[in-house]
Amino acid sequence: MRRILIAFFVFCSMLLTAAAQQKTITGVVTGADDNQPVIGATVQVRGTATGTATDMNGKYQISAREGDVLEFRYVGMKTLEVVVGTSNVINVTLQTEELGLDEIIVVGYGTQIKSKVTSSIAKVEGEKLMNVPVPTVELALQGKSAGVFIEAVNGKSTGATRMRIRGSSSITATNQPLFVVDGIPITTEASNLSGASVNPLTSINFNDVESVEILKDAASAAIYGSRGANGVVIITTKKGYSGDTKINFTMQTGFNDPSHRREFMNAEEYISYFRDAAKRGDAYEDLIYGDPPGTNTYWQGHVENRLKRYSGWAKILEDPNNPSSKYLGSKVDTDWQDLAFQRGRIYSADLSAQGGNDKLKFFASGSYNSQGGILVSNGIEKFSTRLNVDNKASKNVDLGFSLALNRTAIDQVSADNAFSTPMQLVALSPITPPRDLNGELYNTPVTTYYNGLLDVEYASRNIIEYRSLVNTYLVIGLFNGMKWRNELGFDLYNLKENARYGEKTESGTGVGGYGFANYGQNQNISGKSYLDYLNSFGDFSVSGVLGTEFQYTTVETLYAEGQQFPLDALKTLASAGLITGASSTLTQYSFLSYFSRVNFDYKTKYLVTLAGRVDASSRFGKNNRYGFFPAASLGWVISKESFLAGNPLLSFLKLRASYGLTGNAGISNFGHLGLYSVGNYNSLSGLLPSQIPNPDLGWETTRQVDAGIDFGFFRNRISGEIDVYHKKTNDLLLQVPVPATSGYQTQMQNIGSVENKGFEFVLNTNNLTGNLTWNTNINFSINKNKVLNLGGQDIIDNGSTRYMNVVKVGQPIGVFYGAEYAGVDKDNGDALWYVNEQDANGNIVNPEETTNVFEDANFVILGNPTPDYTGAITNTLSYKGVELSFTFQGVAGNKIHLIGDQWMGANGVWYDNQLKSQLRSWKQPGDITDVPEARLAWDNGDQSRNSRYLSPGSYLKLRNVVLSYEFPSNLVNKVKLNRLRIYFQAQNLLTFTKYEGWDPEVSTDFLVNNIYSGCDFYSAPQPRSIVFGINIGL
Amino acid sequence: MKRYISLTAIVAFLVFTACDKLLDLEPSQSISEDIALTSDANVKSVLIGAYALFDDPGIYGGNILRNAELLGGNGEIQWVGTYIDPRQIFNKTMLATNSEPYAQWRDSYEVINTCNNILSALGVVKEADRDRVEGEALFLRALMYFDLVRFFAQPFDPSATNNQLGVPIVLTPTRGINESSNVGRNTVDEVYAQVITDLTTAAGKLPESNGVYASKGAVNALLARVYLQKGDYDNARKAADAVIASGKYQILPNYADVFNQDNNTNEDIFATQITPQDRFSSMTEFFSIPEYGGRDGDIDILDGHLDLYPAGDKRKDLFFMGNGAMRTGKWNNQYGCINLFRLAEMYLIRAEGNIRLGTPYVGDSPLNDYNVIHTRAGLVAAGSVTLDDIILERRLELAFEGHRIHDIKRLKQSVATWAWNDPKLVFPIPARELEANPTLKTQQNPGY
Repeated sequence: MRRILIAFFVFCSMLLTAAAQQKTITGVVTGADDNQPVIGATVQVRGTATGTATDMNGKYQISAREGDVLEFRYVGMKTLEVVVGTSNVINVTLQTEELGLDEIIVVGYGTQIKSKVTSSIAKVEGEKLMNVPVPTVELALQGKSAGVFIEAVNGKSTGATRMRIRGSSSITATNQPLFVVDGIPITTEASNLSGASVNPLTSINFNDVESVEILKDAASAAIYGSRGANGVVIITTKKGYSGDTKINFTMQTGFNDPSHRREFMNAEEYISYFRDAAKRGDAYEDLIYGDPPGTNTYWQGHVENRLKRYSGWAKILEDPNNPSSKYLGSKVDTDWQDLAFQRGRIYSADLSAQGGNDKLKFFASGSYNSQGGILVSNGIEKFSTRLNVDNKASKNVDLGFSLALNRTAIDQVSADNAFSTPMQLVALSPITPPRDLNGELYNTPVTTYYNGLLDVEYASRNIIEYRSLVNTYLVIGLFNGMKWRNELGFDLYNLKENARYGEKTESGTGVGGYGFANYGQNQNISGKSYLDYLNSFGDFSVSGVLGTEFQYTTVETLYAEGQQFPLDALKTLASAGLITGASSTLTQYSFLSYFSRVNFDYKTKYLVTLAGRVDASSRFGKNNRYGFFPAASLGWVISKESFLAGNPLLSFLKLRASYGLTGNAGISNFGHLGLYSVGNYNSLSGLLPSQIPNPDLGWETTRQVDAGIDFGFFRNRISGEIDVYHKKTNDLLLQVPVPATSGYQTQMQNIGSVENKGFEFVLNTNNLTGNLTWNTNINFSINKNKVLNLGGQDIIDNGSTRYMNVVKVGQPIGVFYGAEYAGVDKDNGDALWYVNEQDANGNIVNPEETTNVFEDANFVILGNPTPDYTGAITNTLSYKGVELSFTFQGVAGNKIHLIGDQWMGANGVWYDNQLKSQLRSWKQPGDITDVPEARLAWDNGDQSRNSRYLSPGSYLKLRNVVLSYEFPSNLVNKVKLNRLRIYFQAQNLLTFTKYEGWDPEVSTDFLVNNIYSGCDFYSAPQPRSIVFGINIGL
Repeated sequence: MKRYISLTAIVAFLVFTACDKLLDLEPSQSISEDIALTSDANVKSVLIGAYALFDDPGIYGGNILRNAELLGGNGEIQWVGTYIDPRQIFNKTMLATNSEPYAQWRDSYEVINTCNNILSALGVVKEADRDRVEGEALFLRALMYFDLVRFFAQPFDPSATNNQLGVPIVLTPTRGINESSNVGRNTVDEVYAQVITDLTTAAGKLPESNGVYASKGAVNALLARVYLQKGDYDNARKAADAVIASGKYQILPNYADVFNQDNNTNEDIFATQITPQDRFSSMTEFFSIPEYGGRDGDIDILDGHLDLYPAGDKRKDLFFMGNGAMRTGKWNNQYGCINLFRLAEMYLIRAEGNIRLGTPYVGDSPLNDYNVIHTRAGLVAAGSVTLDDIILERRLELAFEGHRIHDIKRLKQSVATWAWNDPKLVFPIPARELEANPTLKTQQNPGY
């Protein structure tokens, strides 16, 4: 591949040397609004790299041939094209372009012109998502808009992400936005059983995307009613157009590498550290049992036994004083972390065609994308095809469809909490060779825990998703400005999973191998019918929609599992000697809705929008089934007022404000019913109480106020948006903990409220124009989340020794709550804790007081897992076809709980290999250090719920870099091409952070919910992806 | 134009009539509460459900037995596993947030609520089966309360009044959550009284044989154990005698045959049934090694225990070397029954009761009962027996079957440096429960 690319490059460079007969043209460029010269306007000969810029007097000089077309461009002005004639002087006047006047924004059930939009909507152009080497569309959107927080949960290839628009408004219900693709609210939940949940959105080929609109405030999202509270992501795919068919081919290749590694002890360090820890464990036992020093020796014996065991019982360990016979002749020093990682290959090819005529327009694409993961045996491969057709059947009738078929195959690895997941290999001892002398992988008892490499060799978890996404529409023009639009959408998402665990694997041991087959089907049918009106009466114009929609979703699964396979090579359950389980499940939900939106404007200056939706859903109790979600918004384009018109400084200014209600219906399908579910005993199936009824259960309601300013200065060379908002969510859908003596642990109730307040800022500047252009886009947002009320009870999982996220009134959702680590007692090596005793008012009585007893430390708030600040800055520089674009993106203000460090950074409490940082543990009285004394088998500061395992989560990443070269079209045309571009693209190239773990962009995958965020548990770092690619246009 | 308008009307009609029905969806793999308790068959299914909860790993799926050994086993066993919660139990450094006590608390009350539901719906059960269903529900409820009070309260002391805090007694099914859900702890005496009342009623209702489910024998076996724990030796020996005298159970000739069985043996009075459709036995998980479906070999057996066996004791032969340490061989079948009550225990209870109280002996002499157990282990029959002999025999015979801490407490012995009534040997009321239930907030056990 690389060789072909180089050859191509050389070939094209040779073409560059070709030249033609030229003449020199000069002229002046002026602006129509003020008749002043335009400084820095680009003048370019169309289809070539030949170009220049106007000087301080608006003058230019350029070489061109007769018949060439000169393009005059300037930001904020309409591009002008002039054909070179016989004259050598061409003076032009450029017309001002109203900011966004022509830009179309997709909104719920329709489109609007940007300058008339009165709500808060972020738009991302599809071309900014093209070919980004990430598994899923949300990750391509990272850092592209303000107020939209997107993170991958870890670095696995499954593309699982967390996306929050203007903060988290719910504790129990979902906080993921609603995704709408070409009008269909699509399925975003998968039903796989192996590993963590995969992400159904990976099936979207983001090279097909025309634009993504993110509806952020209530005014824009209210039309999605009870599903709008978390914001709405509207994805619109490309359409055909009337004209010559354009064919576009892209190919890229590259690789994924882990973006960061941690430092673990080597074999020599491991041995001496644990021998010492055992001595200290025994000494500690003497102390607490009141025995004379030296009485207890159990652990010293234990450690020798374990070292022998972990080294494969090699004899050489026996003389610790002989340096040449330390452990397997000093040869074994296994870097298990290295064995968990791999370099993943990326290949992709994408072919699309776009064209049509006045009657029939089409867009068609086919794509292949394969991304090897950074973890051994992990990867994703996608095929996708799409055909979008629009037909003008008659003067009044338009119809068409979009059809997408996708296949995604995933080689899945176990979830982060499984011994078999590759990242947990780091727990194994460096003195353990991965394989015995016969080349067979070692397992326990030689490995400290299950050797996850056995899964790589003897297990497979194949997930194949098929998705068909179809939307058909029929639009009938009824009378002037009134159209009747009907749509039927079908989202069929199938997941097929085959897992097979050989006899040597953890799941297959003792049962003769294990396997299961899982099949899930998610059918989502939605239909809508609405009237769409657009008309103007003098200075007034009116537009709007009124209609109804239904959605009916069925989720079915089929499952069977078996044991006792005669051979590992037999992969399907047909070979299982014993079928140990089989089941099928069915669950459904439905929505029936009525919606409307009306927009008025006067002279496109005073704007009013009213919107609303009535929603009914099967998910809610009979007493509370219908809800109404209204919203209103106002806009005032001040720059159109006479006192500002023609102002040379301020080119555009709009004030807007909105208020409205949206809902969140993202809970389980039968949450309101009192239920008995099924349990087995002695191979008989029985019924057991599983849920307390709540016939009053309804949706959460979010009230949101938003105020914003859209502005443009200096002919919109500087433009941007500022928004402030306040969201208050009431009637939270909450799993309220109840006394377990009732026989239940929680009840779903509508109780409590949460607030999100924020500020968003977007700034786009054109710093340089002319031959060298330089654009900067900045977005920055602040979101403050606060729980206001929980009906009298905080949610503190006091049953957990591992996790410390809680929900407390007055604090953000999921704050870390635990003991505050105070370092190490320099006299005896004990971990110290701040007592943090509080008086009646909640003030800490004596902030300096410490204790050696963990139980005596009062739990306090230790940090927030959710960043308060997020932002990104993208710079794009281009010069004669060479373009460099790079995005720095970051978050700040959060902390991350290193849960896995409770084992790997636990000063040798057990035999897990330890981080190198643990070498500085307390050794003797007087030592000043932050790592307590190592005492094998005795907890000393390794209690998970403590601030020792919190680390700052702020980061700045060089998220994306693209360097490309666009060959001049006159050269490209000579080889019968329309376009030729080569590029280099990198994702996650650099990370700046104080985080101690692998990667601060993390939320361990087995625990992804609203409360348990910011947890790192053997979570893989993000891949650093580097690709080289070529675009060819035919 | 007209045809478009009539088309609109037709589409609208179809959409709305179809959709309104679609809003009333019923679940497909669970049923609503109203249906579950309205027929004979359904109530019996709920009874199976109660057993399904009973075999949860947090309780009789194994951990309740394991925790009794971890609490009382210092010097005889060593916890070497990586899980922090069992390690805290073994080291007596439990926090109120330890997940093991919460699992027992939660799972037990789930069984209790399920039993309470069954007991509230006996009217719809066919008359022929009504007593049996009632008896099984009472037995399961009593078993839960007995182990709750043994783990979560200061031990019953026959020489005291026992008004120390036990656990909350809930005897009615939960239909909603309100103020009355915030129950407080009853006294230890009250809990024992409730257990005995339930069991006495159940004994009159259950048949002698009832498959693998609770039978009259199981009730009497539990009664014997309850009375023994209370120091009520007369009732203990009588209840044990009722089991032995029923003739339904036999001491197997070979000790090793008692364990790791897929099905109950003739010696089993009541055992947790583990099938491959369930989760595996958590006794295997922690006491055994990967070869048999266990974890890493999380519990080492020390010489402190192995040295207790006299030479020639076949029970010692069951121990084996695995993953670098000695292991008990009782739990090497991950889908095997977990022996909860077996006849050998009844002989030992009857023998202990008889030797403490003297003649007239109930059933048989302590020496004969002792020798039944002693000779089965391949040892020569003794000519005389003392209380200490019987206590030691019990320790060896029932080792690692979930008795250790409870015997230490009733015999007022100690675990390493912790005396029988040390607060560290009592589980904390789960911290989570104190948050959810304001009444319990002031009722935490000392030391937490």
